[in-house]
Amino acid sequence: MAVRTDGRARRPDSVRLRRVNILVGALSLPLFVCLWELVSRSGAVNMVLFPPPTVVATAVLEWIRSGQFFGDLLASLFRVTTGFIMGGALGILLGVLTGQFPVISSLLSPLFHILRPIPPIAFVPIVILWFGLSEAGKLFLVVWGVFFTVWLSTHIGVQKVDRGLIRAALMLGTPRRQMLQEIVLLGALPYIVVGLRTAVSISFYTLVAAELAGAFAGIVYRIEIAQQNLQTGQVMGGLAALGLISFVADRLFAALAERLVWWR
Amino acid sequence: MKLALASSSASVEEARKQPAIQVSNLSIVFDTNRGQNIAVDRVSFDVAPGEFVCIVGPSGCGKSTVLNTIAGLEVPFEGDILVEGAPVYSPRPDVGMVFQQPHLFPWKSVRRNIAHGPRMLGRSRAEANAIADDLIAMVGLTRFADAYPNTLSGGMQQRVAIARALANQPRVLLMDEPFGALDAQTRAVMQDNLLALRDRIKATIVFVTHDIDEAIVLADRVLIMSAGPGRILREVAVKLPRPRSSSVMLEPAYLALKKDCLDVIRAEGLRAFNRSEAN
Repeated sequence: MAVRTDGRARRPDSVRLRRVNILVGALSLPLFVCLWELVSRSGAVNMVLFPPPTVVATAVLEWIRSGQFFGDLLASLFRVTTGFIMGGALGILLGVLTGQFPVISSLLSPLFHILRPIPPIAFVPIVILWFGLSEAGKLFLVVWGVFFTVWLSTHIGVQKVDRGLIRAALMLGTPRRQMLQEIVLLGALPYIVVGLRTAVSISFYTLVAAELAGAFAGIVYRIEIAQQNLQTGQVMGGLAALGLISFVADRLFAALAERLVWWR
Repeated sequence: MKLALASSSASVEEARKQPAIQVSNLSIVFDTNRGQNIAVDRVSFDVAPGEFVCIVGPSGCGKSTVLNTIAGLEVPFEGDILVEGAPVYSPRPDVGMVFQQPHLFPWKSVRRNIAHGPRMLGRSRAEANAIADDLIAMVGLTRFADAYPNTLSGGMQQRVAIARALANQPRVLLMDEPFGALDAQTRAVMQDNLLALRDRIKATIVFVTHDIDEAIVLADRVLIMSAGPGRILREVAVKLPRPRSSSVMLEPAYLALKKDCLDVIRAEGLRAFNRSEAN
């Protein structure tokens, strides 16, 4: 009986604790925004450099009303998605080739391992020399950033495919030339998906470098223009928009990933 | 007419006499960083069509290597292997294999896993699925036909692996400690299942295990191997009646056979021990 009362007493406690946690979680953002508003308006900081959320919201609304927001959004999204798809496709293709064929790996892996650690931002100067301020240069940076991550995870994934599965497939009469599509690609898929998911945030990170290097539209481009005009509210609004977009992109990809690896 | 008949029955007789598997003077050598290691030393044996042979031996005696070589997954250092009279160079669809781990394709449902072999041999999806459904019923997994392997227990996974290996209707079925990773109860059930299955399929079976009880319960003939290097110590014919189940383990005839086997194994163990003491 003692055990039972103990159990009965403990369970509502843990339920109450969970409810408190949910409540605190829901209050987290509003509390932070209120605090920010208070600090900004208290006079302790320069309101021009540290505008309150209400000013930021007004700036964002104005941005949307002027029609520039959607142009900027489209420009940035185009760069990120095109660069992601191109870099991802290239990474998977070469990752399968280097993972599957030792000769190709011997040829390319040393080169890739030397180029991979160089931060993509460091390529901005040479990209400007090569491509000027064209879209090609911006795509190049995003593709560059995405490619190496996806290549490496695909390469590792292909190499880590369970040898037992390949032996089982051989015993069942799977021709060697069909092994890639039947076993290797699917076996490596969980690794490829992880690489692609990491590459989502990398593509936003390289987007920032690409647009700061000089552009004519884009979220980060707008942030830079606002900074030059000392429109700090617009700068913060741009940051918030960027954060929101990359958050949504990550969530969307996570949902997609669950479907891609359907057997898990 | 009479003559033709006689000659055809003679060729049938010939075919019956030809072993399903002929292993002659098989040696397998592995290169290690301490030089060459002889894993299997001049092993020879035949398996008759439809026979169920178990190879027993301690771990590291090369019994799995022998099986992999018959499967065409490993290349012999020396010696010949003929399956149905034809030399083995690489995996063949008329030789099926069940591994210690099920090695099911995790992205395929039970049905698709079993249908994989027939699909690879050029059957249509409908034909392959029909073959798969028959085998699924045979191993008693009809309710799980659309399940993915990670949702099945170890015993169920191994039943799928057996069904998958049977889907290409192999003449020879090789089994490499297929129940070694299962718990004792599941293993006994699986042995009974295999015995029942064996009476329905016509395949020749070579089954590798380190469990002497499992070997005697299942086999028509037990080959006892020694380790370092792998050799065949003794052949023991198991003349226990069929159909058989694991309850045969309580029969006096069974116990006599087991005693024979254990004597061989104990003598060999002692010899190996003395040899290592002498060194």
